[in-house]
Amino acid sequence: MSLSDDPGTQGAATVAEALPVFRLQNATKRFGGVTAVEDVDFDLRPGEVHALVGENGAGKSTLMKIVHGLYTPDEGTLEVGGEAVEFSSPRDAEGAGIAMIPQELDLFPELSITENLFVGRHRPRTRWGTLDQAAMRAEARERLRSLGVDLNVTTSVKGLSAANQQIVAIARALVGEAKAVVMDEPTASLTDREVQQLFRIISDLTSGGVGVVYISHRLEEIFTISDRTTVLRDGRHIITAPASELDAEKLVNLMVGRPLNELFTRSPHSPGEVALEVRGLSRAGEFEDVDLVLRRSEIVGLSGLVGAGRSELAQSIFGIRSPESGEIRIDGADVQIRSPQAAMERGIFYVPEERRSQGLILPFSIKNNITLSILDRIARFGFLPRSERQTADRFAKELSIRGAKVSDPVSRLSGGNQQKVVLAKSLAREPSILLLDEPTRGIDVGAKSEIYRLIDDLAKKGKAILLISSELEEVLSMSDRVVVMREGRITGEFGRGEANQQVVMTAATGGKNRPAPELRGNEASEDE
Amino acid sequence: MSEVQAPTPTEGGTTIGTGLRRWLVRPEAPALVFLAVLLVAFSLSSDKFLSGSNLESILVSVAVLGTIALAVNQVILCGEIDISTGSMMGLCAVAAGAVATSTGGLILPLLTGVAVGALAGAVNGLLATLGRIPSIIVTLGMLYALRGVILLVTGGSWITGIPDETRVLGTGSVLGIEYPVFVLLILFVVMELVSRHSTWGRNVFAVGGNRRASRLAGLPIDRVRFTAFVLVGVFVGIASIIYLGRAGSVQTNTGTGLELQVVAAVVIGGTSISGGRGSTLAALTGAVLIGVILNGLILLGVPGIWQDAVLGALILLAVATDVLRRRLLGDKS
Repeated sequence: MSLSDDPGTQGAATVAEALPVFRLQNATKRFGGVTAVEDVDFDLRPGEVHALVGENGAGKSTLMKIVHGLYTPDEGTLEVGGEAVEFSSPRDAEGAGIAMIPQELDLFPELSITENLFVGRHRPRTRWGTLDQAAMRAEARERLRSLGVDLNVTTSVKGLSAANQQIVAIARALVGEAKAVVMDEPTASLTDREVQQLFRIISDLTSGGVGVVYISHRLEEIFTISDRTTVLRDGRHIITAPASELDAEKLVNLMVGRPLNELFTRSPHSPGEVALEVRGLSRAGEFEDVDLVLRRSEIVGLSGLVGAGRSELAQSIFGIRSPESGEIRIDGADVQIRSPQAAMERGIFYVPEERRSQGLILPFSIKNNITLSILDRIARFGFLPRSERQTADRFAKELSIRGAKVSDPVSRLSGGNQQKVVLAKSLAREPSILLLDEPTRGIDVGAKSEIYRLIDDLAKKGKAILLISSELEEVLSMSDRVVVMREGRITGEFGRGEANQQVVMTAATGGKNRPAPELRGNEASEDE
Repeated sequence: MSEVQAPTPTEGGTTIGTGLRRWLVRPEAPALVFLAVLLVAFSLSSDKFLSGSNLESILVSVAVLGTIALAVNQVILCGEIDISTGSMMGLCAVAAGAVATSTGGLILPLLTGVAVGALAGAVNGLLATLGRIPSIIVTLGMLYALRGVILLVTGGSWITGIPDETRVLGTGSVLGIEYPVFVLLILFVVMELVSRHSTWGRNVFAVGGNRRASRLAGLPIDRVRFTAFVLVGVFVGIASIIYLGRAGSVQTNTGTGLELQVVAAVVIGGTSISGGRGSTLAALTGAVLIGVILNGLILLGVPGIWQDAVLGALILLAVATDVLRRRLLGDKS
């Protein structure tokens, strides 16, 4: 889909050399003491697909939020169509023709497709001054048809498939006369065929002169679709190069800043007896007939696409959701787990994926977060002993939590150190079975490497570990065994020797061979 | 590693600066500053204001409000709200008053008031936790229902002739301190200890700070919230005895409007209405602040019709300063 073959767009590109859709120069954005983006240049030409890649926390989202008017840069300038602009809100940006399609689509699920397309847009009026519903429906139908889909525009958006919702979001950008569309991980929840459909739409957009910023972790997609690629690392601009000058290995090294094998720690451990056994576990609409075995001193990687039911499965084992059928056995004994308290008493601990909303009490100090789960254990007659401080200190030291004293608010820590606090909280409870849900999501490389070492160490000490991760490299490098889920079912199980990107991705997508190395999971918010 | 060492702000300034900063981030700080400013302003404009007897009379006047605020503070901290305390106080006073007129004594009426309050609080708590009904709806319903019970029980007539020995918590004094103030201070100290050093006190902050994370950490979130509602009932029961002592009679409209004054005291004091952030001192400060303002307005000869307007402005001011302070301190939580 390289556009350079197309003489028509090549002509457009020549014009673009002179006048990009937008150009960001020397952009810097700080949050408190943390610099999210530093001195970054980025521009988008009409009719091109400009890929933006980098690890979680590299500053991709922050950069695009500046372009979209959500953040004001502390330094640097933004030009649209050659003129300097200062956006104070996304509304300004949309007015200037810059649309954003976030990963979590910002559609209104209860409203109809037509109503969604015209939210915040100019709505046609009848001569009586009322909204011209017929004209709006006609335009909505027309826009969707131009994108190659025929949907009933009066139905509400919530019933649509992920792919069709994506298309509605794109149509919405077009109603706003967008000249630039920023797409953040648009394929995260799409199937193979839907991805092809999306690529076709993108190519239609670009041949119409619209510029597309394409954020993705799937390198294969980037090579398929992009004209130029920009790499960010730790908030800095690393390189902007034509797609032809980059290959996968080069790109990964630029993103990570060092070879991958230095990132992971993996020492040999010998799995012992079965700690957790799940048989035929089902919960309608989430997962079905799941069998899973977890041994002591074993790391089992649970791979799959976003929405495959992995978190739901782990949460059911932890007693947050109740499975409708199936059995859970711990150390060979049948158990009923109806609450997190019950799970914790059985030695299970679940470390949630959303650090800020599920893992931490943000107004609390580091100490109070670490000891949260063991208060009932250390308390005497309902009152907390002074030794609580030493307990917190011990875990802070063990996990090398850095950046603040244990009595400081946890919100003062960087994302990686916050994640260590979440882990410390679970380890304080001394669980024998750990369910880790995306434990390295959105944290920097240094902290990642430390957390891998910790996970490896825990397995060596005899803990049974379920590692849920959307990062294929992480699963492959850390696991003794890889289990793959797709649409709520286990679709593959591979020993350490047999697991590779190819087989795992095939099992995850159910696709005929889609070798898209999905290097990173979801984009976490970077403004932490 | 490439670990970013987030500089702790405490490393920056002088020790005085950091001490001041640490004090300013405390939730009740703006209310205390405001209280100090008011005390100076009122004492400059009226020489009667700063007299010991006037200050004590202010505290006596806010004893009922303050006692209930100490407990409602915990409910608000854990992310709930209780606006049924006005009618609850009335009902407790009716029950305690009825017992007092028939048996006399202090202990039996007190226990009656506490028991009735605890029962009403338990109903609030059950509906809000197991019933999964938003607490503002539950307690709004209870506000009306309990007032209805008062009317049904009393048939609209007053309870008068409360014996002197029952009234001791409103009229007597101990160690040279009037009883209402004494009770308020004792309960303040108890709540301060429970809030800072007990498991339940910590859990209240956790549940209000992030209910989902608290659940995932295995905290008994329903029990924590239920206990807070029952605590309100118990404290309302105690407050009703102070009220009986001070008023000497119970009317069917006793306690009307008190529920919102209580919430106002908690919020003005600095406890966040969305939970998770605040302190016991905040609730006390808020109650005293309300007392000082009402008293000061009277001493300054401001007509009584201004009271509500001033109080309302104060609530808005309190919320505004809290938002402003968070922005200034860059507190994103």
